[in-house]
Amino acid sequence: MGKAFEGKIEQIDANRWRIPRSNRPDMRVDGIIYSNQALIADTLSGGGVEQVANVATLPGIVAASLAMPDIHWGYGFCIGGVAATDVDAGGVVSPGGVGYDINCGVRLVRSDLPVEDVRKRIKELVDQLFRDLPAGVGVGGPFEFSRAEIAKILEGGSRYLADRGLAEPADLSVTESGGCLEGADAGAVSHEAYRRGADQCGTLGSGNHFAEVQYVEQVYDEQAAGAMGLERGKVTFMIHCGSRGLGHQVCDDYIKSLRSSPAKYGITLPDRQLVCAPADSGEGRQYLGAMRAAANFAWANRQLLLQILRQTLARFFGQSAAAMGLRQVYDVAHNIAKIETHVVDGRKMKLCVHRKGATRAFPPGHAELCDAYRGIGQPVLIPGDMGTASYVLIGAQTAMEQTFGSTCHGAGRVLSRQAAIARARGRRIDQELAAAGIIARARGRTGLAEEQPEAYKDVDAVVDCVHQAGLSHKVARLRPIGVIKG
Amino acid sequence: MARSCHIIDHPADVGLEAQADSVEELFEALAEGLADIVCPRRTVAARRRRAIRVDSPDIEAAAVDFLSAVLKAMQVDHFMVAAVKVAAATANSVSAELSGEGYDPSRHEIAAEVKGVTYHQLKVARQDGEWYGRVIFDL
Repeated sequence: MGKAFEGKIEQIDANRWRIPRSNRPDMRVDGIIYSNQALIADTLSGGGVEQVANVATLPGIVAASLAMPDIHWGYGFCIGGVAATDVDAGGVVSPGGVGYDINCGVRLVRSDLPVEDVRKRIKELVDQLFRDLPAGVGVGGPFEFSRAEIAKILEGGSRYLADRGLAEPADLSVTESGGCLEGADAGAVSHEAYRRGADQCGTLGSGNHFAEVQYVEQVYDEQAAGAMGLERGKVTFMIHCGSRGLGHQVCDDYIKSLRSSPAKYGITLPDRQLVCAPADSGEGRQYLGAMRAAANFAWANRQLLLQILRQTLARFFGQSAAAMGLRQVYDVAHNIAKIETHVVDGRKMKLCVHRKGATRAFPPGHAELCDAYRGIGQPVLIPGDMGTASYVLIGAQTAMEQTFGSTCHGAGRVLSRQAAIARARGRRIDQELAAAGIIARARGRTGLAEEQPEAYKDVDAVVDCVHQAGLSHKVARLRPIGVIKG
Repeated sequence: MARSCHIIDHPADVGLEAQADSVEELFEALAEGLADIVCPRRTVAARRRRAIRVDSPDIEAAAVDFLSAVLKAMQVDHFMVAAVKVAAATANSVSAELSGEGYDPSRHEIAAEVKGVTYHQLKVARQDGEWYGRVIFDL
């Protein structure tokens, strides 16, 4: 159902295409899509481009409606979209600009374990992780929290877990925003959202979420890789998940409660899914408070999964986490809205930056980065499909100048779930992956079929595009050897 | 009664398209289609009943609100749905009764986690003498 874009679009350079605002009278700014020759045909035939133009109509949008090379069709906003609005000039916040899975994100852990040693026991290890990491639809986790404790998670994120002894202080310093967004309002989260997520903190969920055992296959930037502890041939672990049912319900609740806001504030929208309110209005502030609470829940979720991972690995290898050199490299959010200060046309502005399927990519020297990474730039974690590779990048200055400090978030789907299942008919995806040296386990009947490598764009082409565009630079390529899917 | 509902392909997610003689039957078809996506109804027994009522500004919002309420029953209250009976549906409200039972992991196969009911490409309209509905879910 993705509709090919029929409007005017022009190539700016090797990695950028522009949708001029002259396309439609309601566009306030241009649309700019990062892409390249390998990706542009798929991009133009999907429905995402029209959505970039739709987002360009939002009140207060600054500079351009942006899309990263992993753009694909989403709800209201495309996936891979970045939009910043001027908070002091009536700029809006839109739940559709964050998405249903608030603070879906990625956490990466490095180790000193040599891949040759782990490969010898990979089947056994994947089976153990599959037993220990709660995954699958509606599956609860081993951690139980009272409603009062959930409220503390919503307002304190990983910081609250550290107080409870469930997070290492070092984990927090290498988590975006320290694993806790200020201004979270647990009271703005509905009773239903609490109930929907109460037993899900510390669970992977389903869909495209996963835990992977990987190894560093290639290093592109020795200095940055060294600072992150990434060494060729050593094993890494990646966790990709979000705020589970709690976040989904927060999005749902606010798409409904903001329904009357466009009329109230005189906003005309081309798509009801773009429902929004001025970020500095009562409605906008309430959504931001609830969204931040769900984001904190997501950071706590990935933190608890890391706790389980540490315990499982220590038991499995009979060594302490320290002896294995297990250390979190970084944790990034890729579905979030944040109030940030950026310089636009030489003027400092307070912006509401929506990143939906896009990753923050702050450059070296940025004040928000922890000491470990201030010299090299923010680590950016890009999960690819389960048969190919994931990447570690670092943020770069061009991202600050062109994309409000943002880059891509993954490979981006090209096949619908139904099409992927149809294409997998008569095949054993697990056996195909095993033949390629990847042991995969999935809880659901169709999980491996839906998530098969063919369902995604070429992650190498996506990463090459942001690297060449200067939005972020390649540090390392990680190859999976074990996959756990919900 | 002429009533049909089928899954439609979508780039990232899943949708439903349904036709029916009345708007009540249309909403029943969409709700039962959604229930099948989450937990196939053949595994669910109609042991208990549960009333639903939503108030909405227009017929399309009513579809989203009603289906969101069905989803909430399944994913928040773990009430698995076997059948849906819509007593009345107008542009401003829907009243319905769900039949089903509490979630039992030994019998119920949860096939998908639906994050939300969206407004994207949403359509609820009377055309060519029958009611037509299309809705996309975020998986």
